[in-house]
Amino acid sequence: MTYQVTEKLWEKPLIALGRVFLWGSVCFWLVFVLAPVVVTIVSSFTAAEFLTFPPKGFSLRWYFRVMELDWFLTSLQTSLIVATVSTFIATVFAVLAARVLTRHRFRAKGAFEILMLSPLIIPGVVFGFAFFNVVLQFRLEGLSLLNLFVAHSVVTIPLMLRPIWSSMAGTELSLEEAAQSLGATPWTTFWKITFPMILPGIVAGAIIAFTFSFNDITIAIFLVGPETQTLPVQLMSQIEYTPDASPAAITSIIIFFTLILFFIIDRTVGMDVFAQK
Amino acid sequence: MSTGVKRETLIIGAPASLWLVVLLVIPCLFLLFQSLTPLSGTGLSLENYENLVESGTFQKALRRSIIVSVWVTVLTVLAGYPIALVASRASPRVRTLVMVIVIFPFLLSAVVRAYGWTVILGENGVVNDFLIGIGLIAEPLRLIQNTFAIIIGETHVLLPYMVLSLLTVIQRIDRNLEAAAMSLGASPPVIFFKVVVPLTLPGLLTGMLLVFSLSMTAFATPFLLGGPRSPILTVLMYQYAYTLFDWSKATAVAGVLLVLGLGFVILHRFVSRRLMRDAEAGR
Repeated sequence: MTYQVTEKLWEKPLIALGRVFLWGSVCFWLVFVLAPVVVTIVSSFTAAEFLTFPPKGFSLRWYFRVMELDWFLTSLQTSLIVATVSTFIATVFAVLAARVLTRHRFRAKGAFEILMLSPLIIPGVVFGFAFFNVVLQFRLEGLSLLNLFVAHSVVTIPLMLRPIWSSMAGTELSLEEAAQSLGATPWTTFWKITFPMILPGIVAGAIIAFTFSFNDITIAIFLVGPETQTLPVQLMSQIEYTPDASPAAITSIIIFFTLILFFIIDRTVGMDVFAQK
Repeated sequence: MSTGVKRETLIIGAPASLWLVVLLVIPCLFLLFQSLTPLSGTGLSLENYENLVESGTFQKALRRSIIVSVWVTVLTVLAGYPIALVASRASPRVRTLVMVIVIFPFLLSAVVRAYGWTVILGENGVVNDFLIGIGLIAEPLRLIQNTFAIIIGETHVLLPYMVLSLLTVIQRIDRNLEAAAMSLGASPPVIFFKVVVPLTLPGLLTGMLLVFSLSMTAFATPFLLGGPRSPILTVLMYQYAYTLFDWSKATAVAGVLLVLGLGFVILHRFVSRRLMRDAEAGR
């Protein structure tokens, strides 16, 4: 199909200008988005004693250096444990909640949905303070590892629920019914039929929840103890006193693993999971 | 079924419900309750809130929160609109590249971003080195630990939200409308401003609401990039609670933030439902 385009002479440069402006601003903002990431990675390879950009020389010395830093290794271990345990707890609750939301009908369903999504409604910093407040009331501040497990499992439930919910909504109810009518118990039906079908949703949700917990400062800052510092909180306090490139090496390592997880999500359920907010 | 909740539903739904009620809802309600019970008297009163509103520190922090959020909203629109437009119209390969760059930071830690911005904007950072190098300034500019740094950092954090909410409406635009406008003799600029822009207004509005509210209640980035001397509301609450131990003020700020957060969610729901209905009605 062709359309008769009545272009006026003065419009041509205007259109060209518009196009240049559009692409120019897109390029500018994409550079803006990438800048902090790229600058950090590039400067982590410096050979100099102090962090500079552009880096002086090339070396991997800061990567070897951070492998000997006690605070890095212990806080990394804490963060990995906290993220793994809280993701596991949130997965169980999110699968149950997704099942209720897709397979059951009852009056208070709207209220149930709002409750499940409430950690997204309440500002994270307010939840962190509220949780910390209760912890102090019961004098439980010594159990910071347990507090971190629990608090992170609460806020990650809605993050996990969304991908699991949508993958469960997409599965065929008839397959489950067929299995049940052939004599499978609900338990067998879940593990043999439902679970494999919702696995991509669980993987994507678990990655999002894991990275949330691993990255979190807002809630962890209230709950960490002297013996249990998570990596972001520890890194935050170390950066101030570290003029060398070791924080750059640590953040580059984090960026590298984040990229891997991002591409796993892209391959399993696609980037659309981020669009649901 | 309408007589009550079935036993199976109760068994499956109760654990998650209890977990969230006990660990999230009750602690928040308890915090609200504390904010309404002043140390001096007994019973409920707004005394803590009155004291808070009168304090200059709170007024400054509130003003800073609003200034930051307005700037971040404007900047994310300026950045998000062209990006969403290009992402929806470009070839699949360009589109994927743009989306990966825009969405990947979703998974990035606030510390990682803040460190990157410190390397760029710090006293010996990339920007200052460059400006001194070309002889534009003699002394390094203070670009970090202030409101400016918070605006930059939060724009970086919230840009994907704006791009995604714009993208949903742009992708829904019927390309035939543009073809029709063109066949009727409208030029590309006219089509853009008279056809495309009005159709994206719902996404623009909901995106702006989302970004504004997330910016008002954000903590990590303002805390890391703003420094202790330029607190926004959330950082002020943390300072009252953690460094000044002023519990009555801290709980009152928390109450304000809670009301703000809930208010924005309700407004967002209301506006997006309304706009969807209008869009479906073809208005």
